Amino acid sequence: MKKKALSKNDVLYLAKLAGLTLADNEVERFKSQLEETISYIENLNELATDNVLPTSHATFLKNVFFDDDEKNERSLDLEEVFQNTQNKEENCFKIKKIFDE
Amino acid sequence: MLLGKSLTEILALIKNKKISSKEVIDYFLRRIEKYNPKLNVYLTVNRSWKPDKIEVPIAVKDNFCTCGIRTTASSKVLENFIPPYESTVTKRLIESSFFILGKTNMDAWAHGSSTETSDFGPTKNPWDLSRCSGGSSGGSAAAVSSYLAPAAIGSETAGSIRQPASWSGVIGLKPTYGRVSRYGLIAMASSLDCPGPMTLTTEDAAFILKIIAGKDKFDATTTTNEVPDYLASLKKKKKFIIGVTDEYLNGVDEEIKEAFYQLMKILEKLGHKIKKIRLLPPKYSISVYTIIQRAEVSSNLARYDGIRYGNDRTFFGSEAKKRIMLGTFVLSYGYYNDYYKKAQKVRTLIIEDFKKAFHEVDMILAPTTPIAALKLGEFEKYPFFGELMDVLAEPGAIAGVCAISFPFGLTKKENLPIGLQLMGRWFEEENILNLTYQIEKETDFLGVIKKGLKNYPD
Repeated sequence: MKKKALSKNDVLYLAKLAGLTLADNEVERFKSQLEETISYIENLNELATDNVLPTSHATFLKNVFFDDDEKNERSLDLEEVFQNTQNKEENCFKIKKIFDE
Repeated sequence: MLLGKSLTEILALIKNKKISSKEVIDYFLRRIEKYNPKLNVYLTVNRSWKPDKIEVPIAVKDNFCTCGIRTTASSKVLENFIPPYESTVTKRLIESSFFILGKTNMDAWAHGSSTETSDFGPTKNPWDLSRCSGGSSGGSAAAVSSYLAPAAIGSETAGSIRQPASWSGVIGLKPTYGRVSRYGLIAMASSLDCPGPMTLTTEDAAFILKIIAGKDKFDATTTTNEVPDYLASLKKKKKFIIGVTDEYLNGVDEEIKEAFYQLMKILEKLGHKIKKIRLLPPKYSISVYTIIQRAEVSSNLARYDGIRYGNDRTFFGSEAKKRIMLGTFVLSYGYYNDYYKKAQKVRTLIIEDFKKAFHEVDMILAPTTPIAALKLGEFEKYPFFGELMDVLAEPGAIAGVCAISFPFGLTKKENLPIGLQLMGRWFEEENILNLTYQIEKETDFLGVIKKGLKNYPD
């Protein structure tokens, strides 16, 4: 693994990817905390894993499917769908514009 | 008359008409009024009980969606969220005549080991109000320990049931991954999350597990394995081969080690065989957990956009932001192979390590935590401290095996509960419950649970 020192810009870039806004004091603090965590997790390099398959699932299940034509009982009705939002117009969620004309 | 009665005892009293459901529920509501302001156990108390019903109360961690009852995951993002559907765990409880007494405090999004990351303030340890009750299921642990509920539901990703159970002096059972449905449990790290009971007696843990376990078509990771009658099988006098390993004693407090050795002797006296085994050092599990958990967090918490429900992403607390960012980092282009894939490979090694151990032994005995409950405020000082407190719980969680923590004595100077744990094979909850029951019958957990209740008279 590469030894990783993060720059301030790295931290801001990660925040942008994750849709987070950081306060100024958070940028410096997260930078050093993330670096500390990343250097700890490099102890995994002490273990050889060349011929090891990555885990996909811990409890040995295989191919779990719904039956054909099974009704999805989880779907909510319109009232339930909108009960927790203020961003409603008719039967739609209002969001910020993402395309220009 | 009710103080300290287990859930199964209360049920028997109700059944035999010695007491009514109304009396029981009013009793706990009175206790909550008296002690909750001091302990900060409940975020929401449910006063909507209908007098015509025969029900027994239970506390539920605030990350289980409860239809019509506010569910926050202790985050301001969900401060006013009223779920339009019921989690499978609470649905099964309600169908079995349980009344959801209230929703308990936790670390925000279950990110932490002390409830200090809760946006609604930390839960205090009932044994010492200047200390943490543990976390993330710290509210549920404290609710049981101070008898503000006869039993509670918690959830564990890696330590979040066992560690607070240990610090608050109660029983905490983390079932095998897939034994209990995660549907409606606010997702933290989906490949690890497990709901489970926190109780005063082994019987109660067995009783509740039977109700909440089993295949759920809304959670594809639940197993089709049959659900045994955990309660009935407690009484079988089984003999086990119990593994112990030095790897789990490194850095553990001397008094906790003493309790561990004391229990080893008692188990031998009861006719069980103790066998020394070797396991991978738990420190690697911290790294695997840190990578996988953060990765899954960054993906699971991406859904909180404040459009369909809840507040927007500016409401995330500092801990959630930090975890989301690390998760984003380990999954990002150029680093995925070095971190995420490497962690999944080491996870395979950890699973194989447990498989090998379970060829030699039926279960593994170890301390639950390296030290007893910490003072409030300690966690904040070190970014990594929470993981170190969970170090002995993380390997089992990563492998997905079942495990149970129970109290075993108190530290001498500070009078704080000590917790020990048994880790069992995948889907062998029956066996770890059986041995915990034998320990309870033989030692009464050295009187810890009864002593704890004495501090909280009616």
